[in-house]
Amino acid sequence: MLVVGLIGYPFSRAIWLSFTDKLVGYPERWVGLRNYLYLAEDDSFRTVVVNSLVFTGASVGLKVLTGLAMALVLHATWRWRNFFRGLLLLPWITSTVIIALTWRWMFDAFPGRGFFNSVLLDAGLLSSPIAFMATPGGAMAAVVVANWWRGFPFFGVSYLAGMQSIPGELYEAASVDGAGAWRRFWHITLPGLKHVLIVTILLTVIFTINDFNIVYVMTRGGPGTATQVFATYSYEVAFNQLRWGRGVTIAIYAVPLLIALIPLVSRALLRERA
Amino acid sequence: MADRRLTRRHFLAGAAGASAALALPLRLDAAPAVKKGASLRLWILKTYVEPTNKAIEASALRWAEKHGASVTVEYFTFEDVQTKYVAAIENKNTPDIGQLETGAPARFAGMGQLMDLTSFARQVEGEVGKPPGNVAPVTVIGGKTYALPWYIMPAFWYVWRDVFEKHKVKLPTTFDEAKAAAVALNRPKDNFYGMGQSWNRTADGYGVMQSLMYSYGVGWATKDGKYQSIKTPKMQTVMKWATDIYKEGLQPADTLTWTGSGNNENFIAKNIAQTSNGPSITFAMENAVAKATDAKERKAREEALANHLALPHPGGPDGRRMWAIAMSFGIFKNSKDPEAAMSLVAHLLSPEETLKVMKDSYGQFTPVLDKARAASKEYFNKNENYRNFGRATEWFSATGWPGPVTAAAAEVQASNVLTDAPAKVIVDKWSVDQAIDWADKKIKEIYDTIRA
Repeated sequence: MLVVGLIGYPFSRAIWLSFTDKLVGYPERWVGLRNYLYLAEDDSFRTVVVNSLVFTGASVGLKVLTGLAMALVLHATWRWRNFFRGLLLLPWITSTVIIALTWRWMFDAFPGRGFFNSVLLDAGLLSSPIAFMATPGGAMAAVVVANWWRGFPFFGVSYLAGMQSIPGELYEAASVDGAGAWRRFWHITLPGLKHVLIVTILLTVIFTINDFNIVYVMTRGGPGTATQVFATYSYEVAFNQLRWGRGVTIAIYAVPLLIALIPLVSRALLRERA
Repeated sequence: MADRRLTRRHFLAGAAGASAALALPLRLDAAPAVKKGASLRLWILKTYVEPTNKAIEASALRWAEKHGASVTVEYFTFEDVQTKYVAAIENKNTPDIGQLETGAPARFAGMGQLMDLTSFARQVEGEVGKPPGNVAPVTVIGGKTYALPWYIMPAFWYVWRDVFEKHKVKLPTTFDEAKAAAVALNRPKDNFYGMGQSWNRTADGYGVMQSLMYSYGVGWATKDGKYQSIKTPKMQTVMKWATDIYKEGLQPADTLTWTGSGNNENFIAKNIAQTSNGPSITFAMENAVAKATDAKERKAREEALANHLALPHPGGPDGRRMWAIAMSFGIFKNSKDPEAAMSLVAHLLSPEETLKVMKDSYGQFTPVLDKARAASKEYFNKNENYRNFGRATEWFSATGWPGPVTAAAAEVQASNVLTDAPAKVIVDKWSVDQAIDWADKKIKEIYDTIRA
């Protein structure tokens, strides 16, 4: 009952609010689908949907690739494996705000301060600093990189655990049959990691599509609306404009996608356990 | 100097007199009196200038000591002011007294959160003074006073005097002159730019955009606070100015990404010739002199301090109208002790207490009540910059000019539509007309759907 209450009440309240014109400090009034229809026609919201999908897709894609690479390297390394495993987990345990501020500093164009600009200028590769975050593409790339850096160790450690559960005999047999490293990876490692891959990807899609901290701290959704995502736009509408009904609706818009993902995660997890 | 401290006796006398004169029944908000052991929660703004915060807290504690009461001072910042008040209102956990920014009295009064302080304001007027006509509409909503204004925190047009003099460029008095100066001073190859004006989601962005619009005679509201279209030739001129400074490369490439401190840092580092900012730049530069470790460093910092000029915001064809943050005190209806709350507000607003706080503000605190303004003349006569700080109230224009501050006007500012419009042109390469149409539609929608 407690669990149902803790999950069910806030969720059903959010759904209810999305059908109202609730303003902060005023009682809510039923408006049916008005918030949904308004957002469907709102060009800012359409930008938010595209941004959220790009941010999520790019972040998760990068995490999978680097997570796999990290796991493969650690799997093949016996010496210092636990040390490196611990070391690579550092980003995952660091505060998100610190990560966001650090990456903002790294991309900074302020003379003599931004890490990348300082290195490139000192090396003589640049004559003036590059304003990485001043363009829509650059700003999106910056928040994706920060999000990737924070999350890839989780993927790496998960995949490493998955790899360690794949019987070594399979690799030995494949090698005897003349399979090269790529074929062993493609036909043994990847199928063996299938469930771990599904779970990590689905869970991270859910976390990332709702991510707030990195975007808010690094860009506040800017420049313009170039990095505005569901969570930051929802916050702006709910807390600055005081339109809670509409702010909640922005967040609710992502729910159908997430609801579709949740059974997949659950099924994959159960299969894994079986 | 005569002791004009607001005593409890003055209060009671004033309250009784006013009540009798107005033949009003004695109401809670008409007779501020403090019971022994009164306990209040006071929310105040934590600014970048730490001594100001401490001075306000000390002032509240002086009141508490005098009345055998207790005051719990809680801070909010510009970053979390909305979140804190929203959470408090929805959870019915508002403080007794809250310091309110420009749009908050209209918004919170509309929600029924604030006490009507009309009688109280009239009673204490003799002791604390009156706000000028351009500031009063921030706290008077529908003819009733819901908060008492205390100070404005204006932004100024910071320029490097030595840079202007070296290149024989006239100090700007209009936005056109500011742009012309930027063109004349721009030296991108040396990493020095003519201007640094970000259209970001902070007061450094939407505040300057409002100064620019109002000075060109563009307002999205009428004198009675109703929506009016901004699809006008004047707005086209405003948007052209706002976007040309980017298109013509007069600013560092990352200007649009600056958050609250980007313009401060770039100005102090002398990467830009001019920018808009509050007097926190002066605070930082005065502090830097005090913290110099050797004579050479001290000399360099003193020169920088002497060369930085805080001019009033440039004007436009319609005059000079400077948007600023106007801070006031409101008393929430949830207050368990409104009489004590009124007494504390009157104490904080008294000229003596106001001056004590102001003197620790490094110029960012410009009193608005006429008695404190009169008493602050000497303080603001310190130098050229401070003389401008002291005149900020004269040029003040509130959100929603030429109309009163309304909940809708406050939401227009909070929605960031004013700065997103030029960003659409700069980042998304929209045409100026397209961006104005977009902003106008958003503003109209806010006015059409806001609740009174």
